[in-house]
Amino acid sequence: MLILRIAALRPIHGYAILQRIQQLSNDALQIRQGSLYPALYRLEERGWLKSDWQAAESGRNAKFYSLTKLGRRQLEAEKASWKRLCAAISLVLETAD
Amino acid sequence: MKESWLKKRRWERCMHTEFQFHIESRIADLMEDGLTRDQAEERARREFGSLELAKDECRDERVFEPVDRSLRNLRHAFRSLSRAPGYCAAAILTLALGIGANTAIFTAIEGVVLKPLPYHEPDRLVMALLYNRSLKYATEVSYPDFLDWRRNARSFEQIAAFKPAGFDLTGPGLPQHLDGYEVSSNFFSILGVSLLAGSSFSPDNDRIGGTPAAVISNRLWRERFQSNPAVIGRSIILNGIGFTVAGVLPPSFYFENELADLYTPIGRVDPLYQTDRTVHDVICVARLKPGVSIGQALAAMKTLQEHIDDLNPTTEKGESAYLVALKQQIVGDVGDTLLLLFAAVSLVLLIAVANVASLLLARSAVRAREFAVRRALGATRMQIVRQLVTESVLLSFAGGLLGLVVAKLVLFAILAAFPGGLPRAGNIGINTSVLLFAFGLSIAVGILFALLPALKYGNTDVQVGLREGGRSSTASHQRTQSALVVTQIALALVLLSDAGLLFRSMIKLWAVNPGFATQHILTFQVGLSPSMTQTADTLRAAYDELTRRIREIPGVEAAGMTALVPLGHNYNSGPFWIGPDRPSVSMAQIPRATYYPISPDYPSTMQIPLVLGRFLQRSDDVHSALAILVDTLMARTYFPDRNPLGQTITIPHWGAQQNVLARIVGVVGHVEQYAMDGSGGGEKPQIYFSIYQLPDDALPAFRQEINFVVRTPLIPAAITPSVENAVAAVGAAQPVYNIRTIREIVSASLSRQCFPMILLVAFALSALLLATVGIYGLISYWTAQRSREIGVRMALGAAKWNVLRMLGAQGIRLALAGIAVGTLAAIALTRVLSSFSRLLYGVRTTDWLTFVAVSLCLLLAALLASYLPARRAAGLDPMTVLRHD
Repeated sequence: MLILRIAALRPIHGYAILQRIQQLSNDALQIRQGSLYPALYRLEERGWLKSDWQAAESGRNAKFYSLTKLGRRQLEAEKASWKRLCAAISLVLETAD
Repeated sequence: MKESWLKKRRWERCMHTEFQFHIESRIADLMEDGLTRDQAEERARREFGSLELAKDECRDERVFEPVDRSLRNLRHAFRSLSRAPGYCAAAILTLALGIGANTAIFTAIEGVVLKPLPYHEPDRLVMALLYNRSLKYATEVSYPDFLDWRRNARSFEQIAAFKPAGFDLTGPGLPQHLDGYEVSSNFFSILGVSLLAGSSFSPDNDRIGGTPAAVISNRLWRERFQSNPAVIGRSIILNGIGFTVAGVLPPSFYFENELADLYTPIGRVDPLYQTDRTVHDVICVARLKPGVSIGQALAAMKTLQEHIDDLNPTTEKGESAYLVALKQQIVGDVGDTLLLLFAAVSLVLLIAVANVASLLLARSAVRAREFAVRRALGATRMQIVRQLVTESVLLSFAGGLLGLVVAKLVLFAILAAFPGGLPRAGNIGINTSVLLFAFGLSIAVGILFALLPALKYGNTDVQVGLREGGRSSTASHQRTQSALVVTQIALALVLLSDAGLLFRSMIKLWAVNPGFATQHILTFQVGLSPSMTQTADTLRAAYDELTRRIREIPGVEAAGMTALVPLGHNYNSGPFWIGPDRPSVSMAQIPRATYYPISPDYPSTMQIPLVLGRFLQRSDDVHSALAILVDTLMARTYFPDRNPLGQTITIPHWGAQQNVLARIVGVVGHVEQYAMDGSGGGEKPQIYFSIYQLPDDALPAFRQEINFVVRTPLIPAAITPSVENAVAAVGAAQPVYNIRTIREIVSASLSRQCFPMILLVAFALSALLLATVGIYGLISYWTAQRSREIGVRMALGAAKWNVLRMLGAQGIRLALAGIAVGTLAAIALTRVLSSFSRLLYGVRTTDWLTFVAVSLCLLLAALLASYLPARRAAGLDPMTVLRHD
């Protein structure tokens, strides 16, 4: 979901995705770098991400991932269900107080 | 394939570039943070983790190429198998042997037994015969019986008659002897065969005085008439008579005798036979009406035959009807023999399976550590099972392929070994269903093998696997392997003992004295030219001349003629009674004797011993009183307390004459007519008469049956040209055919035992070999497992001998267990398989000599198989072994 969220903004390559996740979560979420890629490939395989090769800031060619229509819908669905879950959990927590 | 490979290469390159980009970017970032390039590089790689692992995981995400994953499994399997070539070779060869032999036998069974006959709705075709109730056997039918049946049988759509016949084709072209049938005009329409060209002959041809017409085989049409369609309507000379070719059969057609080339109308010949109810020489083939079973038809036929019996009390009383499915009649006991061999070869396959299973178990035990490591590294149980299955299927596939080669060879051997040929052998070929059978078998076997160790090791506790380090193994594992080896030995014993029993039967059969000389005697037939067959007188003169010229050939010691060669699959039996007075029973109830129409020199040429009186002479002819020889069986049975010489018996048929009195002038030894083992026709008394005494109307009937017998120490190939010259000197246009030695005839008569014996021996030896390899494998595996224990023992002072004895005892224990189980199984099995015990001669199914010999043989093999690895173990330096850990 996080990957989808990040890729939703603009086309972005794998290393930048990793950096964004760490940055956005204030380094709270640490992902083993090597295991990011299988996740990316899986999302691509499911048709939620698409990719193309572009020049990165450094001038080298890199693989940029962006969200597909299907991916956008998936992101909305996941967001909604996450919100529902959070709401449910906070409801439980607050009521228990 | 190539395209997808290119695609894959590009995909791999992209992935690699992407990862490199990631790492390079990280290095750049880290260097900005102030690390040196080396430090940055090291840290970036550490953070990324294993590059290969990440790649692998990415590859796994590519679900759109499952083929790719199987290929990867396959490549892995190849690599892993090529590291163990000895194991592979053993497994593949074992499988090839098992699958190959099984496929060959299955092919033969498929072709001969399972495939339907090539006729229209063959299941409705039956063969109809008479059944003699007092003598208790099925016999051919008389022509008047056939006519009665045709008129009155309600269960049949149609019924046709046929009888085998020989033809001398003398024109156009070179003279040639051909086999064929005389058939009724509806013969081909009953079988539902449509002719390739022309038509079958009409009922008009099929009556006394009808125009001679013939249907010819496709082979004859091709070979003699170059497939010329204009042959229809042309005249060919058969036995001196011009026949018009009416039709040509399709290439796939055959009936009983696959060499039959000519079919002529049965109804136009010999008016004598057409009214005589005591001459039984035609067979009926009938098509059942739809929905009528054989049982119903038989009941109806029995009722009908009773009615015919009542109408003809002197000839038919005591006859009943007999129906058998056409296929059963054609396939006969060959089907039984093939099924027996199939059982035998399935045992070989079982042994092969057990062998490969124990190989795999041994290997998987060694690989337990590998699996444990892989599990520890995160491989799922499914992945390991998948790999095992791939490896094993690969092995069995290779085994199956090689097995096809083996199958071809075995099949070739079977076809060559069935003397006289298998029925329907033309049907035999490795076809799609056989291929599917073979590969289905190999794949099934492969998956079975994989699942065995997979189930065992797929869920092994990682800890245990690592700790054991593939060295020692659990007791249950050893038990499984021992059980497999014991099974192999037991199965091998079953096969060996059956082969041994048959072998002993063969030896006993060869030792049987058939009552005539089996060495240095040659038989052949001569087709006579039309000028010789014009009258009975010219025929007699021709026989005299031929005999004289053949006897003059250098190297020929004696020569004679007979219309009936012993053991030659020809029968000529007829009724007789002692003295002039006919017993007051119907002809069907009168005892039968085998009649030998011979030339006077026949018994001396065949060295049939004269017991009493004299042989026949050339001076016994049409002008003198009928003189006969009888065999010792007749003398013993009918003249137990008086001298048979000078006694008379009555022969009911003597050409047109009836009830002719014949005087016994000599008694000769009994000969085996039907089979060396006395089966096949029962014991009938034997009567010899001279063909020169046959009346003019009866002599031509035997013309096609006359065989010359020649005693000569020369081999057939050396004498045949001289015989052909001698025959040619008597008159042109005379083929010499059917040249056989008596020895060949005798050995062909033993083919019933000989053929399964050869194959059983071959199977038994492969079983022995496989079982030996099995024992060897198990013992070497044990020694490998226990090398440390052995090292310790030897370090503690055990002598080499003790080690040898310990391991040898293990082999012997296995062998003894296998022998015990196998002996029981073999005895039980021979009881059940009646088709096997029927093959035995002079040997009981529990023949102890065979079992002891076979057991010793297996013990020896076991000893040898355990000695080799034991010696290797005993030769080990204890220090090396112990230090190895």
